[in-house]
Amino acid sequence: MTESNEEMELKDRLSLIETMIAEGRRTTGSWAWSFVFWGMAYYVAIAWTAYNQWPWAWLVTMTSAWVVCWALIKRQQKSQPQRRPGTTMGRAIFSVWTAMGVSLTLLLPALGLSGRFNLHVFVAIVAAMMGFANGASGMIIRWKAQIATAFVWWAATVAACFGSDGQCTVVFLTAIFLCQIVFGVYAMIFESRLRRQEAHHA
Amino acid sequence: MPELPELNPVIHGKLRLALLSLLVGVEEAEFTWLRSKTGATDGNLGAQLAKLEEAGYVSVKKKFVQRKPQTLYRVTETGRHAFIEYVQALKQMLGGAIGS
Repeated sequence: MTESNEEMELKDRLSLIETMIAEGRRTTGSWAWSFVFWGMAYYVAIAWTAYNQWPWAWLVTMTSAWVVCWALIKRQQKSQPQRRPGTTMGRAIFSVWTAMGVSLTLLLPALGLSGRFNLHVFVAIVAAMMGFANGASGMIIRWKAQIATAFVWWAATVAACFGSDGQCTVVFLTAIFLCQIVFGVYAMIFESRLRRQEAHHA
Repeated sequence: MPELPELNPVIHGKLRLALLSLLVGVEEAEFTWLRSKTGATDGNLGAQLAKLEEAGYVSVKKKFVQRKPQTLYRVTETGRHAFIEYVQALKQMLGGAIGS
């Protein structure tokens, strides 16, 4: 069967629509580094607290990390030749992480000031929030690896409610290593592969 | 045999179709980004975007970012609706053509 010119033209239009929609949604950002960055920031805060038991070590480390992270994002945006257009999916993920960040920033110092703070509560809250944010992000973008990190965080949330302080610390350190460092490195490799594909398509 | 729908001539133009397809996938996009994705010249791109704007399919917002002018385009509800209708009509026509 030979296709008429008109039919070919219509198929051409349909293919153009599919290509352009995919092109618009292809907005591979560079966020994987932030997982490794925040993982390292948690380790610094834990080491600092263990070293001199200063109660504000976490707040100071996290605030400094926010400032450095913000500066790095701004620098990254400036280095791009043109601004990537925002997508609804991107805004959804940004909203989840921002809301989680605000919740932790308010809750943890408030617990500290009210004297209701202890290691188990702290690890359980942080792990639950991280599980929530990673789970929501993973489900939005349908990325199984990120959903898997959510399960690790949720397991850490439950584990933190039991056992000794030492066991709780080990659970937290392990969750950070798996979900921030290992996942962050994996995501960086994944992003660079996607960017190579983008360059190939362009 | 059911009558085949007509394709919206405002959307049917190749560059206008490409622009609308790009814009439905994002919240808003800069002129320069649209230019890089379509490979069109400034003049042609501006003219086609003006046609889409005239039809009420896209809205334009101009602003200054670090003293540099920035033109942002966003698909309107009318534009989104017209685009969906166009795709449905296209699929219907292709279905008819394949079936015949």
